[in-house]
Amino acid sequence: MDYIASHEDWKSCFSEIGPGLLLFARQWTRSAADAEDIVQEAFVKFWRRNHKINNRALLYATVRSIALDFIRRDKRRARREATVFAGSDPTVEPQFEWEDEAQSALAAAVSCLPQDQREVLVLKIWNELTFSEIAGALGISQNTAASRYRYALAHLKKSLQPQ
Amino acid sequence: MNDFSELENDLKALRPARPSPVLFERIEEAMAENCRASVSDAGSMAKWRWRFTETPYRIGFGLVAAAAAVVLLLARINTHQTRDKDKEIAQVSPASQTRPVLPAFSGRSDVDGSMSSSKFVPAGATQVVYNTRNEGLQFADGSRQPLRRLRYQTQQTWQWRNPSTGASLRVSYPSEEVVLIPVSGQ
Repeated sequence: MDYIASHEDWKSCFSEIGPGLLLFARQWTRSAADAEDIVQEAFVKFWRRNHKINNRALLYATVRSIALDFIRRDKRRARREATVFAGSDPTVEPQFEWEDEAQSALAAAVSCLPQDQREVLVLKIWNELTFSEIAGALGISQNTAASRYRYALAHLKKSLQPQ
Repeated sequence: MNDFSELENDLKALRPARPSPVLFERIEEAMAENCRASVSDAGSMAKWRWRFTETPYRIGFGLVAAAAAVVLLLARINTHQTRDKDKEIAQVSPASQTRPVLPAFSGRSDVDGSMSSSKFVPAGATQVVYNTRNEGLQFADGSRQPLRRLRYQTQQTWQWRNPSTGASLRVSYPSEEVVLIPVSGQ
């Protein structure tokens, strides 16, 4: 009856990492429902294969892989998302629970980040991955992950400064 | 990085939206399906093992072994019985043909020899079971214990040989045997 124990484990685990996972998945989708589909598929797939939950890089890589497959499955969606990936006019907004205008502005600024910087920021800030884990999840070097993170922060700081 | 510490704190204060309760339910359902699949996989493996190692096959092998033992026993009994009969038959039939002639040869010294030369002795018996049919369970009258009815179709062959002349006699015929084997339930 081991599965009962793991059945309870996934709940506590998902309660902890679910919001960050969802935020990460929302970078590639236009709706929360699509992001939830991706997170569900990735999390169940990850859990089914009995991977250690400490292997967060693999979990986020799974989410990313499924998100990209999800986009490829729907050509119209892929075309739409291609415009997003071009970075000119990001329309995908991470969902945040903001409490004031400052947080609302910060959330809007995050959504305007280039996609490669935003995904590193999301993984670092809201999912608390190390640069090593981010590098593993995104298939980039640690230095690239760290530099993208710095660029993202610089970008945000610049965009939040009063004109 | 110190330049960004305040910004990082602001970002950390910004909380991502929580997943909907529906997502929890969907994942729970998917996990339950996963567990059922795992259990059924394990079950199918266990069933596979059970099929080949556990009770029914043991019973089956037991039945086959018991049936084989019964068949061998019957064959041996039949062989003995037939040997006795055949001794008589083998002695009688040639003797009946030769005895009337014997008086004609009564004066001859080889009469006893001709009598002995007309004797056929059993040389072999085989019983080949070429079909076994399980005809199911049945209850004998007044009995609550089920009996398995097995029908064996066999080919029986008997051989006799006359040691003095080297002549041989061979009889072959099909036969059927029905064996009732008590079945013990578990």
